[in-house]
Amino acid sequence: MTGYRLGDAEVVDTFAEAFPMRYSRVVITAATEAWALEAARSMTGFATSIIGCKCEAGIEMEVRGEDTPDGRPGIAVLLFAMDREGVGKRILERVGQTVMTCPTTACFDGLPGAERSVPLGRSLRYFGDGFQASKVIAGERFWRIPVMEGEFLVCESVGVGRGVGGGNLVIGARDEATALAAAMAAADAMRGEGIALPFPGGIVRSGSKVGALSSKSLPASTNHQMAPTLRVQVKDSLVPDGVAALFEIVIDGVSEDAVREAMRRGLHAAAGAGAKHVTAANFGGKLGEFHFPLSELRDPP
Amino acid sequence: MSLTLTLRKPPPARVLAAPLDPDGLRGLDAGAVGALELRCGGEAVPVGDLFEVSGSAAEDGTLVLIGDLRRFDGVGAGMASGTLVVHGNVGSWAGAEMSGGVLQIFGDAGARLGAAYPGARAGMTGGEIVVSGDAGEEAGAGMRRGLVALGGRAGAGAGLRILAGTVIALGGIGEEAGLGNKRGSLVSGRPVEPLPAYAFAARLQPPALRMQLLRLRALGLTVDERFLRGVWARWSGDRTELTRGELLLFDGENGSR
Repeated sequence: MTGYRLGDAEVVDTFAEAFPMRYSRVVITAATEAWALEAARSMTGFATSIIGCKCEAGIEMEVRGEDTPDGRPGIAVLLFAMDREGVGKRILERVGQTVMTCPTTACFDGLPGAERSVPLGRSLRYFGDGFQASKVIAGERFWRIPVMEGEFLVCESVGVGRGVGGGNLVIGARDEATALAAAMAAADAMRGEGIALPFPGGIVRSGSKVGALSSKSLPASTNHQMAPTLRVQVKDSLVPDGVAALFEIVIDGVSEDAVREAMRRGLHAAAGAGAKHVTAANFGGKLGEFHFPLSELRDPP
Repeated sequence: MSLTLTLRKPPPARVLAAPLDPDGLRGLDAGAVGALELRCGGEAVPVGDLFEVSGSAAEDGTLVLIGDLRRFDGVGAGMASGTLVVHGNVGSWAGAEMSGGVLQIFGDAGARLGAAYPGARAGMTGGEIVVSGDAGEEAGAGMRRGLVALGGRAGAGAGLRILAGTVIALGGIGEEAGLGNKRGSLVSGRPVEPLPAYAFAARLQPPALRMQLLRLRALGLTVDERFLRGVWARWSGDRTELTRGELLLFDGENGSR
C-alpha cells in the first residue's frame, strides 16, 4: 500500500468503515459540575461496543449553566444504538440507574425538535409510584419524581437522530508510551460537539476483528493483524517495522461530516505527537455504508 | 410592526375585551380591526373608536395593547395561541379559560386572572400569563393546566379549587390561597400563613420551580437571583381534597445550588 507522510508519521492509504446508527443526546445537570460529571461517567460506563454492551455512549461536552434548561452546570452525553428502539431501551435503563440515582441531578433532552423521539420521563415516572407529578414548562412536559433527596426532574421524552458509528483511527509508534501519548493527543483533538469516543479515555488497545480464526462461535476476536507480538507469527500482519504498539480510537458522531472532521483533527494531532504509523480499520468496504479514506484527511483542520 | 392598539381615552363603561384575541385577528389589516365591535356597557363600540390602530396583524401572531385598560375585562380570555402584550393595567377576568399562548401584562391585573367562569368545570387549560405587577382576588381559580405568574402580589383566594397548573406570586400570595387545591402548585415569594388544610412537608430547592422561574425571566419578568438560589418550604394540601397540591413558600437564600 502507498500513503503519505505527515510529519514523522506514515499514513496508510486505507479507509475507516462506519455504519448508520441512531442516537440521542441528554443533558445532565447537577448542583455542581462535578456531580453532573459523575452521573455522565456512570451513564456512559460499559458502553464501549454495540456488540458487547448493546449501545455505545460517550461524554460529548460540558454545557455552561447559562445554556442548560435549569441554569445549572451540565454535561451532554451521546448514546448510540442500531435503531430507535435500541436507543429507547438503553436510554431508559441508563438514565434510570445512573442519573436518577446520582445526587442533585436532572435530565433533559439534548435534541429538542427532533422528528422522532423515545419516551424517557413518560416511562421513568412510574418509579414515583403514583406520587409523581408533571409540569409543562415552555410547552414541554417534565416529570417530577419524588426521591429521598427531594425531586428528580426528567424530560418527558428525548429526540432521536440519525448518526454514524464506527469511524476510527489506528495510531502506532516506536514504543508503547509514545503511541499512547499520540493516541491521547488525537482523542483530545477529536472530542467536541457531535462526537462520542466510547472507549476508556477514548482509546482502545484491544481492537477486534469480526469472527475468529480458531472458532466459529466467537462473534469477535483480537485483531491479530495489528498485534505487534504476532508480527512474525502470522502471515498477514499489518504492523510495520519499527512500530511496537498501536491504539485505536473509535468515533461515533451525529453526522458523516462530524466523524470525518473529528478524524482529521485526530490524525493531525497524532502526527504532531510522535505517531509513526497511522491507519484505519475496515471490513473491506462491504459492510459499512460510510467510508472515510485517510487520503481525504491530509489537509489540516 | 406588530398589530398595536393604543387606547385613545378611558371608555365610559366597562368593556368586554375578549374578542381582542391575537389568533382571531391574525391576517386582518388595521382597517378591519378598527371596524370590529366590542361591548362597552350596553352598547357595541368599534375598536377604532376606543383605540388608535397601527401595524398589522402579521403572521407572528402578536397583538400589543397600550394604555390603562383597567376598565377592560377579559383581556386575553379564551386565548388558544399567539402572544398578547399589554403595556398597562387590565381589568378582571384577564386570560380567563386560556388554553394556550402567552399573555404578558406589564402592569396590574384585576380579579379572577386566568380563572374559570362561574359554573365552568375548569379555568385555564394551558398557556402562560405573566403580570409584572399585582393581581386581584382568586387568580388562577379553577385552573387545570398552565402558568399564572406575578412579579407582585396575588390577592386573597389565589388558586381557589385549582385542579393543576401553577400560580406564582413573587411579591407574595394572599390569604386563603389554595382552598380546595387538588394537584396545583402555588408559589409565594413572601411568607404567608397557610390554610389549616395544609401541612408542612419539607424544605427543598425544587428543580421544576427553578426552570419555571428561568422561563419567567425569558418572558420579561424580573426574577431576583435569590429565588433561584434559595430554599422553599413545601406545604402539602388541600388535605380535604387529595393532599397532592403544594404551597411553596420562599424560605431564604441558604441553598447550595
